[in-house]
Amino acid sequence: MAAQKSYKSMVCPFCSLHCDDLIIETSDNNIRLTQGNPECGKKISRHNINSQSRTSATINKKKTGLTEALKKVKKIIEKKSEVLILNHGTDLSGLRSLLTFASKYHCIIDHITSKFLFQNIGIVQRTGYIATSLMETKNRADTIIIFGNNILKKNPRLLDRILIPDASLCVNPKKKNIILVGSFDKNTINSISRKSNAINVRIKLDNIPDFLKIINNNKSETLRFITKQSLVKINSIIKKSKYLVSTWTASDFSNTKNPEDIISSISKFIVDLNITSRAACMPISGPLADSTSAQALTWLTGFPSRIKYSNNSFKHNRTAYNSEKLIENKQVDTVIHVSNLSENELIMNKNIYNIVLGHPNSKLNIEPDIFIPIGIPGLDHEGIMFRTDNVVSVALKSVRKLKLPSTQTIFNKLI
Amino acid sequence: MIIRLKSGIVYDPTNNIFNRTKDIFIKDGKIINKNNIHGKINQTIDCTNKIIMPGAIDLHTHIGGGKVNIARLMLEEFHDETDAKYDSSSIIAPTTIKTGLKYIEMGYTTCFEPALLPINARQAHAEMADIPFIDKGGYALLGNDDFFLNLLRKKASQSVINDYVAFILKASQSMGIKVVNPGGINAFKFNQRALDVDEKSKYYNITPRDVVTKLARAIYDLGVPHPLHVHCSNLGIPGNFLSTIETIKAAEGMPIHLTHIQFQSYGNNGDRGFSSAAVEISNHLNKVKNLTCDVGQIMFGQTVTMSGDSMSQHKNHKHAHPNKWMCMDIECDAGCGVVPFKYKDQSFVNSLQWAIGLEIFLLAEDPWKVYLTTDHPNGAPFTSYPHLIKLLMDRSFRNDILRELPKDILNHTILHTIKREYTMSEIAIMTRSAPAKILGLSQKGNLSIGSNADITIYDKNIKDIEEMFAHPIYVLKDGEIVVENGKIKKYRWGKTHTVKPEYDKSIEKSLTKFFDKYHTMKLDNYVLSDEEMENMIGSKVYVNECKYKRKQ
Ligand code: SF4
Ligand SMILES: [Zn+2]
Repeated sequence: MAAQKSYKSMVCPFCSLHCDDLIIETSDNNIRLTQGNPECGKKISRHNINSQSRTSATINKKKTGLTEALKKVKKIIEKKSEVLILNHGTDLSGLRSLLTFASKYHCIIDHITSKFLFQNIGIVQRTGYIATSLMETKNRADTIIIFGNNILKKNPRLLDRILIPDASLCVNPKKKNIILVGSFDKNTINSISRKSNAINVRIKLDNIPDFLKIINNNKSETLRFITKQSLVKINSIIKKSKYLVSTWTASDFSNTKNPEDIISSISKFIVDLNITSRAACMPISGPLADSTSAQALTWLTGFPSRIKYSNNSFKHNRTAYNSEKLIENKQVDTVIHVSNLSENELIMNKNIYNIVLGHPNSKLNIEPDIFIPIGIPGLDHEGIMFRTDNVVSVALKSVRKLKLPSTQTIFNKLI
Repeated sequence: MIIRLKSGIVYDPTNNIFNRTKDIFIKDGKIINKNNIHGKINQTIDCTNKIIMPGAIDLHTHIGGGKVNIARLMLEEFHDETDAKYDSSSIIAPTTIKTGLKYIEMGYTTCFEPALLPINARQAHAEMADIPFIDKGGYALLGNDDFFLNLLRKKASQSVINDYVAFILKASQSMGIKVVNPGGINAFKFNQRALDVDEKSKYYNITPRDVVTKLARAIYDLGVPHPLHVHCSNLGIPGNFLSTIETIKAAEGMPIHLTHIQFQSYGNNGDRGFSSAAVEISNHLNKVKNLTCDVGQIMFGQTVTMSGDSMSQHKNHKHAHPNKWMCMDIECDAGCGVVPFKYKDQSFVNSLQWAIGLEIFLLAEDPWKVYLTTDHPNGAPFTSYPHLIKLLMDRSFRNDILRELPKDILNHTILHTIKREYTMSEIAIMTRSAPAKILGLSQKGNLSIGSNADITIYDKNIKDIEEMFAHPIYVLKDGEIVVENGKIKKYRWGKTHTVKPEYDKSIEKSLTKFFDKYHTMKLDNYVLSDEEMENMIGSKVYVNECKYKRKQ
């Protein structure tokens, strides 16, 4: 049996809160959360190595050594004309090396959730925007509006650690108002009510822009989907609030008719509140290092995603370098999937040459032409990743002994 | 490998050498004594009719960190692909690569990011690590963080404050401390919209004066070479010269550096309630012993303003051009605001701002006390330095531009009456030796034996001074030729400058408690170690000496 080791402050790479206080136990291949949120425990245990895990490289399903696999990758890349690197989540060092590689082989780069990224940054690129960070929210927010119901599931400790913490510098957590916009289940509402004052505004997410308009106008004739009574109550809470935070995750709006309208309306609502009071937005980014990717690509290339190296520098085109379209229309002949952080299924097109630098537990819709297992930053190697609020980045540690190369190691060998 | 720079016209103000023809010898990245050369000279560069100066130092330029990246993200439409030599990012928010290229091509070899939020230090250093060629460093922002304000509220001793300041310098791997709108950024989080020097913040009951006095004292006590770097209260507000003078007094005679002082030298005379108070400010600058400043000159054209001063940036968003902006409250640490802005030469206010900056330069009696900056990119991108140098060195050039500006500014500025033209020696002082001195960089900004061979060589045959300063023919970084005949010859990567005064470790106990209770991060994750800097962030740390042993 492998020796057990325990850590008191593991930094978690698995959602964009990047909590750094995890108490865990590890053996060579596995890791177990010994205290804390069971949902996080489940998320973390998915990264344990089991008999199905792919810890060796393969070429056409056949196991091979890393050197062989890399030789083959190099040969392929040199032959192919249009290579797409599709980022499903990697750390800063992975991104730096991926960019160097892309500049050598003139690749296109996209992140798998760029769509949501562009929805959020649209407000920064077009209008005024006021943001806040996790710690400000924890210590200053007396009113929080949560738009959409998946955010709490996707970020299991958001509520306890940030929105209704036990301790707060400037507000009494018990007096916090949490306004839940959308359909929230009873359990969630009850658990919030136990700690603070919860109100559920059960409206369709498509109606958020109208709801916020009504809040602003306070006009009775526009009441279509909310009772006058609730409206009065919400208005009074918002008027009294000294620091209001709006939070959402863009993927929650993916089934609505116009996600960008929803996000713009929330942002405008916040900007308007700041004329006389204080309020701010705190969008929660996805778990696939989307913030990390956007940050690093922005300082290194000037663009957050969807770029291609040509004529001496990276060019950007939101439509032309959209990976979904490129793959669907077979405008690329090779895709390098880089997936460090999630075992979720990678969807590949069988008519394109597929290379996967993947999580050892990656699920795959088809067998890729080349698979190279890579380590997970924060478990198998150190790394830097950005939190959802972008201003804070964390230093991930290496906590288990599994010897898998990092994305950086692989790309550096290919350059 | 020994390089000889032969027969150059040398300006080395630290050693009192001005306009003297001399040889310089370089080995292993350092300047060496001619008499100690034993091996053969591998390369000789004929510097006849060439001006040799130490590499230039920019002590205040926003080149890395959260707000810089927000600006890059925000200003996509300003990308420009016309010059294939560089990537398309705009010079008002360049990529890290372009930042390094443009600086080195201009002969700048060391730059300091002045608004490094300790909580954002990892990012700021990671960005700066990706800037090629130059050495860099940052000033950690303090004075609006809840931990510090709590210390002040609880009347903590100066020695505890000193411990905290020293801890922050180490944890954030910084070179100095900056305070922005002292206490004001924090007060804005409690919805205060202004905070004058002697006004109390509603929540903490503390004045900006208290903040400046305590921090200036801490820097002095700790022996940190760079004085407290201050962005004063009331930035950009007409009549703010009075609060600027009060801020100078708040330092109580201890060293203090006022940054982008142009934005802090406004009177409120005249029909429009906006006038120059450069004379009043310069009188102080010339008189007060431990006071230095950088100017933050504005230039006409499009730029983007970025500042930790969320209070003033939120006000400024009404002037955003194009009409988009962002403000942020950050981790009980500080804030930021990014507002694109276009300075127009036909605007009364903007023209006067241009004149006020130049007045301050030209009224300063001692070039060792005033430094050449545009507060990149707030006043203008750093690439406008050669133009600014020409404005200072060539009176008729300056007056030609002044004549094109709105006539009514002449009632509120004395610029047209100033005859002074800066000399080459004075430019050498204010762009290299003086900033090196005020930063405590003993091996930079001079050509002494043993100093870093960061050297810029200009062609004296180029008659246009702007052109000459824009395109040095050679630049050496740590003894390697990185620019040759005006073209990049070789990439290399600089290091990160820090200072690490000692402190009583017991401060970490109170910090751990505070972090565990209120932060969203553990204290040990907040601290950047030298190993992390080198291995993960990507830049080696160089620790500069403090001036003396800690006083208390
Ligand atoms: S909330 Fe997210 S970051 Fe925190 S422990 Fe759970 S999965 Fe990890
Ligand atoms: Zn500045």
